[in-house]
Amino acid sequence: MNCYKDKNKWLKVLAHVVLIFSLSATKFANAYTGVTILMSSQTPANTQFVDNFKVNLAYSKNNGLKVNVVVMQESDKFEVAENSELVIALGVKALEAASMLKHTTPVLGIYTPLPVFNQILAISKRELGNFSAIVLDQPFWRQLTLIKTVLPEAKKVGVLLGSASSQYLDLLRDEADQLGLTLIDENVNNDTELIPNLKKLLESSEAMLAIPDRSIYSRETAESILLTSYRHQKPMFGYSQSYVKAGALASVYSSTKQIAKQAAEIAIKSQTASNQLPSPQIPKYFSVAVNLQVARSLNIAIADEDAIYKKMLTLENSEIVENEEKKH
Amino acid sequence: MLNACTAHAIDGISIQNLSEDDYIGDVPKVLTVSRLAQSKEDSPSAVTIIDRKTIRASGIVDIPELLRLVPGFYVGKNAGFIYNSNHAVSYHGMTSAYTGAMQVLINGRSVYSPLYGGVQWSELPITVDGIDRIEITRGPNAASYGANSFLGVISIITKDAKDLTGSSVRLTHGNGRNEALYRYSGNLNNDALNDVNFRVSVGYREDNGLDNRNDYKRTNILNFQADKRIDANNEFNIELGLTNGDRADGEAAKDFVLFVPRMRDISSNYQLIRWRHNVSEDSDFSLQAYHSSNNTDDNFTSTNLRANARRLTLERALRRGTSLATAQAQANAFAASLRDDQISLNNDIQLDRYDIEAQHTFSAANNLRIVWGGNLRLDTTYAPYWLGTENTDHFNLQRVFGHAEWRLNDQFLVNMGSMVEHNSFSGTDISPRASFNMKLAPKHTVRFGVSSATRTPNYIEEKYNDATYIPRRPITNPPRSYLFKRYADSGNLTPERILSKEIGYLGQIGNFNIDARLFDDDIRNILISKDVTISVPPNIVSLNIPKTYINGGSAKVRGFETQVKFQLLNTTQLMANFSHVDISSDNALALPNGFTKSAPRNTFSALITHQFDHNWDASYAYYQTGSVEALGDGQPVALNRRQDVWIARKFNLNRVNAELSMAVENLFDENYQEFALYNTVGRRALVNLNLNF
Repeated sequence: MNCYKDKNKWLKVLAHVVLIFSLSATKFANAYTGVTILMSSQTPANTQFVDNFKVNLAYSKNNGLKVNVVVMQESDKFEVAENSELVIALGVKALEAASMLKHTTPVLGIYTPLPVFNQILAISKRELGNFSAIVLDQPFWRQLTLIKTVLPEAKKVGVLLGSASSQYLDLLRDEADQLGLTLIDENVNNDTELIPNLKKLLESSEAMLAIPDRSIYSRETAESILLTSYRHQKPMFGYSQSYVKAGALASVYSSTKQIAKQAAEIAIKSQTASNQLPSPQIPKYFSVAVNLQVARSLNIAIADEDAIYKKMLTLENSEIVENEEKKH
Repeated sequence: MLNACTAHAIDGISIQNLSEDDYIGDVPKVLTVSRLAQSKEDSPSAVTIIDRKTIRASGIVDIPELLRLVPGFYVGKNAGFIYNSNHAVSYHGMTSAYTGAMQVLINGRSVYSPLYGGVQWSELPITVDGIDRIEITRGPNAASYGANSFLGVISIITKDAKDLTGSSVRLTHGNGRNEALYRYSGNLNNDALNDVNFRVSVGYREDNGLDNRNDYKRTNILNFQADKRIDANNEFNIELGLTNGDRADGEAAKDFVLFVPRMRDISSNYQLIRWRHNVSEDSDFSLQAYHSSNNTDDNFTSTNLRANARRLTLERALRRGTSLATAQAQANAFAASLRDDQISLNNDIQLDRYDIEAQHTFSAANNLRIVWGGNLRLDTTYAPYWLGTENTDHFNLQRVFGHAEWRLNDQFLVNMGSMVEHNSFSGTDISPRASFNMKLAPKHTVRFGVSSATRTPNYIEEKYNDATYIPRRPITNPPRSYLFKRYADSGNLTPERILSKEIGYLGQIGNFNIDARLFDDDIRNILISKDVTISVPPNIVSLNIPKTYINGGSAKVRGFETQVKFQLLNTTQLMANFSHVDISSDNALALPNGFTKSAPRNTFSALITHQFDHNWDASYAYYQTGSVEALGDGQPVALNRRQDVWIARKFNLNRVNAELSMAVENLFDENYQEFALYNTVGRRALVNLNLNF
């Protein structure tokens, strides 16, 4: 499938890491018999993950894997049967903790941003074969495809980039190019630049795409950013469901259920060869969130979430066909 | 089994500072149901928005001048010469210096004067620079905006306190105009969720007004705005404003009986607090309270009455055909019968408004949005000259309002709303409205609307009861006096009522954005002044026949208006406005003189803006206003044309963003008359420097 090609390209940020570590991956073929889900606290997202993960295991009729939940908050120390269990770490703190386990213990990070995963990987000197993740980041091509689907006439997409996200500029440009979109960017180096630069961007672009970067998008700045965009009557595309609820027009996101499904698939597939966890993955299953009230206020005729999702899939498929045809 | 330590050991690794919370954590709802305005396509009325970009590119420095860019609007510079030499702003007629048929709001605060219903534009505690946008509803919209939303609604929204940080200086110098403004925006602490964002502005403005007019204005402005978020669901806004200054008043040539040309002190202030509460996902509540005060100190000594009396008597006698000798004898006798050369007059005015409004906005269903609320208002008016009493008069107003937007499907939308108002002057009135919006195609919307509103008489119409007693000779007990009285209002007027029907179209064809509207308005109970006989005690001699207001006839206002925006190039935009207004009446005699000509029949305006490059910007504006006969102090004036140009250059000086611009109003110095023959508008050039740091 073409999207794998895209996906690999999107993950080229990881490429150097993959190269270095996959070559030196240790070749112990230990099967695991259980899964320990490690979390720092029992947030709704975490508990939902556990429930859905179990449901998925049951659904696949896999009775071999026992699921054990460890909440770090409850004790300073936690126990894991290091060589016979897959550790699924929910969130950054849990992944940091899991990265300290014996290096032969397979660890799968969930709810971890890609840049953070890379850091933990580098610092812990773990190997990719048994240290992997389903990252939180939705691929740019998916987000840009959403913009294209919702606003077929829009050509100019604006992005604000900060210290953490500026590294993605070339990649973003590439992805936008492929979809026939023009990317317009502004850098934000400090707080005082945020709103002026956002305004500059809003003047010249037809839609805004939010790229996760704490120096730009946070709970605190959401109000200014969304209000300013709204006053300019320009739609903002978010990277999460909550940003859509707050006032972004639309976003692709992966629900806990979808992430849990993907995690269960990995857990089952890698059961017999625990040191051969797949490379870090983007969320495979996704949904579309739309803020209908915002769409109406901006006078944007928008299809419902399902219809947009389906249209995105056909768009992706048609591009696959196009590419296939080019090959022949 | 092994024990593993938790993450403490490698806490330092979160260099990226990102966590799952940045992706999946909750974000407070920003665009709540009440913040999301209806799109123009869903709106029950025609709405024109003058945005920041247009304001800047127009080069305009006086707020009401911006309304020349709205189809159907008439703007007359420095109209009137008693108490008011401000801009007259009208929509579809009824133009007068004291035009009071429009609701004018600044951030939801109503600023029209209870005394005469209009706005003292130059006393508003804001500057053009502080405005984010102006939303103009063309047509009545009492259901949404309340009292006085009769011919239209002008809603001014100032820049948000969060919008900018740092300092800004704006200096303007031009023909007869000097202005300086300093603004600072900042926040009080760094815990962003509990941040207090604030903005404070101080400004000074002086304007010599028009040639040959006594209309100098000097104004000091101070305003403060702060937003404080308490938590994700509660926010407080505070606004404070202060203006004071001097106004030249009185026209020797026009108002020679009592008022001398003079300078009066003005001062106004206001305080507003608003609580916005997010009740739930789809429900918002807001509570707003404000007080505003507008004062003028105007105690002065009259003209030389003896000289006036002599002149007036002589003129009158000669007009009657009296021989010169007799006329002179009559004039001298009358002049000699006055006890004093001059009398003192108290034209102090103090207006206070106390207002509290609650509003609840919610989505009752996915396709049904409702806003409803209530409003209590108290206006107190102290205007001894006008009301003929030293007492402060109280005007109470209560209203409830509701509006529902019901989306039948993607194509059809219904708006329904109503307001019930009760006030001290005219009792209870109901103003309903309804509209049906139809999306013919994705970029073509047609709107059918019916809207009604009432205009409550203002103090001048309901309670104008001036009485100037001029003592006579010989001195007796009780003293004998002449009475000069312009008005003897008896009140009990019925409000004017409008029923407006319209068909609107909003569309986009290629690079053209079109907003067009056909309207057919019926106005009834139009207030008209007529002579009235009054009885006076035997020791009083009445010098003139006073007038009073009564409900007169009705009129029809029909016409067509449009605004077209055209994107010529990426860097060049054209905005053009045209309106054709036809006022007719079956019985023009029951209307104020000139009523059917109180709107220009055809008005055209255009603004072309062009961006040469990142630093250079320019605009050209053309305004053409048909002949018009303003009511009251106005006079018939001929068609006029005016052309304005503006050019701006942006540059950076170290860490300062600067902009230098120049505007020339009435480029070809066409000395035309506006509003009245005594208002001649000439060329004016202005240079403006803006610094942000």
